[in-house]
Amino acid sequence: MTLKFSSYVTAAVLGSAAMAAAECADLVKVGVLHSLSGTMAISETTLKDTMLMLIEKQNAAGGVLGCQIEAVVVDPASDWPLFAEKARELLTVHDVDVIFGNWTSVSRKSVLPVIEELNGLLFYPVQYEGEESSKNVFYTGAAPNQQAIPAVDYFLEELGVEKFALLGTDYVYPRTTNNILEQYLQDKGIAADDIFVNYTPFGHSDWATIVGDVVALGEDGKQVGVISTINGDANIGFYKELAAADISADDIPVVAFSVGEEELSGLDTSNLVGHLAAWNYFQSADTPANTEFIDAWKAFAGEERVTNDPMEAHYIGFNMWVNAATEAGTTDVDAVRTAMYGQEFPNLTGGTAVMLPNHHLAKPVLIGEITADGQFDIISQTKEVPGDAWTDFLPDSAKLVSDWKELGCGMFNTETETCVQLTSNY
Amino acid sequence: MRRFFYAIALCFGTIMAAQAQELQAILQTHADEIAKPSRKTVNVALEDLVASGLPTVPGFLEAWVEKSVWQSSDGQFFIGAVEDDQINLRDVDSGAETTADKSDFKQLKPNGGVRRVIGTALVQFQLSDDNLTRRTTAVASIARRPAADQLAPLLASVEGEPDPVLKARKIQLANFLSTRFADNPEDRITAINSLAKDTSVEARSVLNQILQSSSGVAPTEPEGNIARILDPMQAPDAYYAQLVEAGFAPARTGPPVIRAALEANIVAGRVGNVPLAQLGTDAARERAYAALAKEGLAPPLVTTQTRDHALGEYVFYDLYDEPNAEITAAAEAALASVEQRVAFAQAADLALDGLSLASIYFLAAIGLAITFGVMGVINMAHGEFIMMGAYTGYVVQTFIPDYTVSILVALPLAFAITFGAGVTMERLVIRHLYHRPLETLLATFGISIALQQLAKNVFGTQARPLTSPDWLDGAWVISDVIAISYIRIAIFVLALLFLALILFVLKRTRLGLEVRAVTQNPGMAASMGINPDRINMLTFGLGSGIAGIAGVAIGLYAKVTSEMGADYIVQSFMTVVVGGVGNVWGTLAGASMIGFLQKGIEWLNPSNTLAAQTYMILFIILFIQFRPKGIVALKGRAAAD
Amino acid sequence: MRKSFLSENPSVLWFIAALGLFTLMVTLLSEATGAGLISTSFVKTLGKTLCLCLIAIAMDVVWGYCGILSLGHFAFFGIGGYAIGMWLMYARTEGIVLESLSGQTIPPTPQEISDAIGNQIFGVVGSSEFPLIWAFADSLVLQLLMVVLVPGLLALVFGWLAFRSRVTGVYLSILTQAMTLALSLYLFQNDSGLRGNNGLSGLQNIPGFESTPQSTIAIVFFLISAAALGAGYVFFAWIVSGKMGSVIKGIRDNEARVRFLGYHVESYKLFVFTITAVISGIAGALYYPQAGIINPGEIAPIASIYLAVWVAIGGRGRLYGAVIGAAFVSLLSSWFTGGGAPDINLGFYTIQWTDWWLVLLGVSFVAVTLLFPKGIGGLFDYLVRKQP
Repeated sequence: MTLKFSSYVTAAVLGSAAMAAAECADLVKVGVLHSLSGTMAISETTLKDTMLMLIEKQNAAGGVLGCQIEAVVVDPASDWPLFAEKARELLTVHDVDVIFGNWTSVSRKSVLPVIEELNGLLFYPVQYEGEESSKNVFYTGAAPNQQAIPAVDYFLEELGVEKFALLGTDYVYPRTTNNILEQYLQDKGIAADDIFVNYTPFGHSDWATIVGDVVALGEDGKQVGVISTINGDANIGFYKELAAADISADDIPVVAFSVGEEELSGLDTSNLVGHLAAWNYFQSADTPANTEFIDAWKAFAGEERVTNDPMEAHYIGFNMWVNAATEAGTTDVDAVRTAMYGQEFPNLTGGTAVMLPNHHLAKPVLIGEITADGQFDIISQTKEVPGDAWTDFLPDSAKLVSDWKELGCGMFNTETETCVQLTSNY
Repeated sequence: MRRFFYAIALCFGTIMAAQAQELQAILQTHADEIAKPSRKTVNVALEDLVASGLPTVPGFLEAWVEKSVWQSSDGQFFIGAVEDDQINLRDVDSGAETTADKSDFKQLKPNGGVRRVIGTALVQFQLSDDNLTRRTTAVASIARRPAADQLAPLLASVEGEPDPVLKARKIQLANFLSTRFADNPEDRITAINSLAKDTSVEARSVLNQILQSSSGVAPTEPEGNIARILDPMQAPDAYYAQLVEAGFAPARTGPPVIRAALEANIVAGRVGNVPLAQLGTDAARERAYAALAKEGLAPPLVTTQTRDHALGEYVFYDLYDEPNAEITAAAEAALASVEQRVAFAQAADLALDGLSLASIYFLAAIGLAITFGVMGVINMAHGEFIMMGAYTGYVVQTFIPDYTVSILVALPLAFAITFGAGVTMERLVIRHLYHRPLETLLATFGISIALQQLAKNVFGTQARPLTSPDWLDGAWVISDVIAISYIRIAIFVLALLFLALILFVLKRTRLGLEVRAVTQNPGMAASMGINPDRINMLTFGLGSGIAGIAGVAIGLYAKVTSEMGADYIVQSFMTVVVGGVGNVWGTLAGASMIGFLQKGIEWLNPSNTLAAQTYMILFIILFIQFRPKGIVALKGRAAAD
Repeated sequence: MRKSFLSENPSVLWFIAALGLFTLMVTLLSEATGAGLISTSFVKTLGKTLCLCLIAIAMDVVWGYCGILSLGHFAFFGIGGYAIGMWLMYARTEGIVLESLSGQTIPPTPQEISDAIGNQIFGVVGSSEFPLIWAFADSLVLQLLMVVLVPGLLALVFGWLAFRSRVTGVYLSILTQAMTLALSLYLFQNDSGLRGNNGLSGLQNIPGFESTPQSTIAIVFFLISAAALGAGYVFFAWIVSGKMGSVIKGIRDNEARVRFLGYHVESYKLFVFTITAVISGIAGALYYPQAGIINPGEIAPIASIYLAVWVAIGGRGRLYGAVIGAAFVSLLSSWFTGGGAPDINLGFYTIQWTDWWLVLLGVSFVAVTLLFPKGIGGLFDYLVRKQP
């Protein structure tokens, strides 16, 4: 497969060189900063391929501003300091106009100082923990209020869950999300004793005890639900143990925030039917745009490949950037950033995504049930929810807002009416 | 809910009148609730449906739950099944079948909460149905949402229940319901007492439901079934907050409140006669606030003393929801007895988990026990042999779809492949490094990273599925507390099998004799006519082969990725070293110690598994410092380095 | 003494000269001087490589000279990085917080300042209360002291326990590996108070030098790293050349015999283990401000194994070997993974180096151990000996 991609890149570059129109002074360069090796390659390679596909498509449609787009792909190798180094290389050596990249929060935190120092532009496509706002980053993935909060609402309202097990991998996304949820649940009248929190290491495989603990939560007759922020491979062991313990979604529903189509492909899902996931996108979304996207992806990457939420985020982000650059008439970062606010682009799941002044998207929230063929059956879809950089459910964050358009500040304290800082908190 | 059952009762009288109606018509009156149902709103539609008494209702509800109800673009409801782009439709009333284009129809997808409510509505139709599955579903529905009005129908259905298992379940469930909903307090107490030995989650939940209480605060002790009087000094701030909420006391003046009050009362650069510049300390701020309070510009400061005084004035209590004190007392007693049993059961379950973890560690490490323990060769690529075994299992499954057969094929094949890999590695690399153990470590590490990356290049970075056969699905459930999955039992058995096999090979066979001879003194062994080269090769192959089989087992219960070997390698080395090198029993002891220890530490701090792993490794480091030869230390000349 | 040491070890002078020349060249060609032939990101890479060379010579002394294969020296490197990182983060955040609080009508209390800093650093995942480890974070001097003291003390205690129990050979290797694993697992926990998996970030922004361009900061750190490497090289060369060096090498070759000669082997080993740990800590403290972020993944066991790999490839038992190994392998590694190496088209299959580099590294590693146990440094010896 890698063989095919390399030839695509070459083709894209060669093609663009040949077709470079007279009015185009220079190639437009798009940096792709996704790990192609190491632990995160599992998720990020897909996004690199998505970018190549989108760029190829855009080039076929005439590129941007009359120029062909060249993809500059680098490999930060799941090594967080290397992300900073490669970002600097992209911005200073390759002079890219925009970067699409990163997956983990720690890699984003590594890149932030560099991007801000050199005034670059980064599109970050993954659902994340929020509590951050950078002038130079557009967050096209979900903030907690676009994924976690609606999912918990669904648990409370629709499933009548009264007791929560928050299971997560021990890193910042689950920690932050769970902190927000804990506070949110208590505000909703769930007692602190009715919230069980557990953190496990990356790649954890010994789940028997934890699953046992979750079952035991039902001992006071309350409806138990599991909110899972378990990351990556560890999910496989978790779901296998869940299936072995014969926990049906009717008894103890599990909603996951990090399990998508890709993760399910490593599992036999016949015992997991009915468990849930919350995302802004599912492959099973039944719209013409999505069908077209899936077909293009399969033709590009292979018949057996699936699509997922961060891919849609890149799809929206890239198209918005192209439109903003066209509108601004330049790829200059500041001009494009100003043109980004209010950009609209149709979602693959229906409706329209809007770029807000806080650099987040307004996107619908979908809840899907796992089906036997490793896909999700969408059972709930909200209207577009505007992404919130600073959560409203923790006192220290509630007073902060991000508005780069009017206030020109990503961390504005509404109580003291001052801008806490202009850089982001890395 | 209750209202809904009264409605049924009422409607039995008017059933004849209702029969004239059509199901589709009722559905249309509730089209919104049915097309977009919510747990909280669907009841209205269900009440009407059930009340109609139409014979088609149960069938429709069942279809609805199974997501096979479709709505046409003009709002009509059908029961449908998709076939390619077409959809086979059945009319909800007449049952007439038609086929139409799929794109004109929308599938109704009731969520889990709605399905549960529908399940409850279906109970009355299913409880005495001829079909066992339907009756089981009905009983499960009651168990999920127990309600007072289900007791009578459930009791009525017990008599005629032909299936002995379900009958027992119905009796059990009826007993659970009786504890809460029986009319007669004596009946309830009898039922409660019968639960004193039941450790199931359901029984405990019944008892806990009876004992539900709500806390409150009042100037004097209130009337009612008081569970306990609380001592507010246990957590004064929390209780004071309760007092504030109840309106009995003024809010606490914390630093933010003080600050806000000060900011609101700045007069000519001073607050309460304290210059602004001096307000950078808490003491100065409190002084300024006190001055404000004196002038009546701010409420008086609530100090610790005033807080404690206020707390002493009020009674904090928990009040049972259940008014009858005898019943709560019986439930308390029953629960206490159950909880003691549960504690024992939990200890047993923890031991079982520990045993299972130990057997996994043992299985991962036993190959090393041979190559490292017996031969003294450090093989950092051991983890990658485990990975190779797991990938073998995956590849076999892609060719042989039957899981049982594929596992039976995969096990020996994994052994053969990793045996071959081990022998090749021994011949090409390790043979040249027998007297340089540290170099072996580095060379095998090189092989390890190369193999890991090769696996990535071949199989991709995504985890691959390795599915266990049906007969290994599920768990052996002793009680709700003690349960262990079959796959873990299988791993345990496999570990025992290998322990026996290796002991047999080493102690009872010619090969084992030669192995021991070569490891103790290769020169002497060679002069006795043993070919040390051959023995080393075979031993190394054996150790590697076992790692391959372990890989299949580990892949079955966890995951198959290119990095799975790395997860086990450090752990495995520590297992062997802690146990004592050169002794298979030692490895068993090491695995047991690490497994049980880890579970023990996890039990102490259940919310942080990572901490448990950290402390376990720290313990191992210390253990080795004080007992460098491990648990089972060899004595005599064989023990020399 | 000093004169004779240098005259007996001309290679030290050669090394210092080469390092000086190299440093001068890079400085002149960097963006800081306006030449701009070497990009800032590459200056940072080179500066980091110098720090890796420093820990590599420490590793060479402990392994190549003393025969202790420590698979945990990156733990000390990481501790050094965390110690300096805490100050960098604290001081930078303090600056931001003080500025944002300065606009308020009422001056902030010390508690409010500390809360605000804590909030910024730990976000919502921690409390605003500072964990005990951060007690000295506001003082650069104390944190610098910790860069030296914490790795030193840890090595002292760990080494004392291990050497006293006569844990040697591969057992010690596994034990040191367990040490670094335990430390990295501990730091991975969010409750460790060091921001868990995210680690400490934004370290390239030096408090007090906010307006200095990164090109200058990069070159300053590059120069400091070069100086540290030079000093470390001379120091270690001095240690391994004298009488003590002979004892240390004796321990490597036959520990029991040295012990029978009346030397207190454990003390020598402990000294070497501790002093190399301290130097590793210093190397880490210089490395991470250039890398910009430190997190627990940095000290995972694999990092220390790579360290051993560098030394083995460069050639054990010769300090310049370690330098060559570290520089060669880490730079080559970044060249291959950075897509710098051209793909090889075999007609039926294209070898992409991002995919195949690790395979090549692994195999070359086996080859070096098997065929050239003296590494690249051995090649040098061979060439030198050939000349009259």
